[in-house]
Amino acid sequence: MPVPSRRLSLDTWAVLLSLTLALLVRIGIIKVVPW
Amino acid sequence: MSDAIANSPPTTAPQPATQTAPQPSAASFLGLLPGILLLAIVGYAGKFIEQFITRYGKAHHLVLPNIEYVLWAILIGLVIANTIGVPQIFRLGVATYEFWLKTGIVLLGGRFILSDIAKLGGISLALVFIEIALGLVFMTYLGKAFNLKLKLVSLLAVGSSICGVSAIIAAQGAIEADEEDSSFAIAAILALGAISLFVFPLVGHLLHLSDRAYGVWTGLAVDNTAETAAAGALYSDAAGKVAVLVKTCRNAMIGFVVLGYAVYWASKGQAAGIQNKAAFLWTKFPKFVLGFLLISLLASVGFFSKPGLLAIGNLSRWAFLLTFAGVGLRTSFRDLSKQGLRPFLVGAIGEIVIAIVTLGLVFAADRLFHL
Repeated sequence: MPVPSRRLSLDTWAVLLSLTLALLVRIGIIKVVPW
Repeated sequence: MSDAIANSPPTTAPQPATQTAPQPSAASFLGLLPGILLLAIVGYAGKFIEQFITRYGKAHHLVLPNIEYVLWAILIGLVIANTIGVPQIFRLGVATYEFWLKTGIVLLGGRFILSDIAKLGGISLALVFIEIALGLVFMTYLGKAFNLKLKLVSLLAVGSSICGVSAIIAAQGAIEADEEDSSFAIAAILALGAISLFVFPLVGHLLHLSDRAYGVWTGLAVDNTAETAAAGALYSDAAGKVAVLVKTCRNAMIGFVVLGYAVYWASKGQAAGIQNKAAFLWTKFPKFVLGFLLISLLASVGFFSKPGLLAIGNLSRWAFLLTFAGVGLRTSFRDLSKQGLRPFLVGAIGEIVIAIVTLGLVFAADRLFHL
């Protein structure tokens, strides 16, 4: 069996980045995201 | 999805999860940048072509087919990967497409209010249970009929009933299957995912499925999450949104099914027993599902303004754009052709049956619950 890694998983990094971006939107640092 | 995939070269048969991923450092982060830039260029090129065709049609009063940027991004990626190939310098960064997929899904939570998730998610969960049970039983029967090794059958069953590559990798470690078996199963699932990108939208249009019905069908029947998101978005933005929600319900089941298989193989003395089942379930549970629900909860309670929600929705679209570019760039037809024929046949027959049965389920659910 592989030794469990203590590093954050890819999922967790994705959640952290998303929450950070959402927070930046909430506090107004990111105002408009064009598409 | 494991880090091992994100850090392995883009191939249709990723290295198994037991591979040790390099420790993060400034150098390894810089090593990702060329590939991420390539994802952005390919994805944006797809968007540019879509907009160019629309503008050209309007300017010249022509009725041109509206082909979503998703298809262009995938096609450009496929052409690069299968002609000149993806140079080594880009490979680490291209493999981050899974990370952008998860980020896109979490941010997509801002485009759903919880009551939507409760309604559509409730119906989806019921359908997901039926689909998983059907997929597991049918694939197991089919694999045995084709005389495949029993652990390869387990991997194919998990991959086709739940969530493709990540489920296979999770199951491979838990049931101690051969790395070769997991490579076969992953290659079969990815090859079928690539085919479904082109088949599902065609069938959806032929049957005049609504966005929601098509999204539910795609979420139930297409295996790998990146391909599900792409196959949904190829139909329409709304269909892509629903497809990802339904697929997320499927992904949430991964721990339970893998635990079931782990306990089964341990009872046969061919895998280590699971001491702490709750810890096992938590380890295997895809954490991005929680992030998706959290963002949706915040959106539902008015934490974000309307322009804020629009910005979050667009951030999600950009993350998916990188993902779709990665789907094309990592698909190598040469690698796909190297896989065993029998695992592919079992996977293909299974997928066709699952696609037909789930289509029937979606029609029934549409009549009963008006999806």
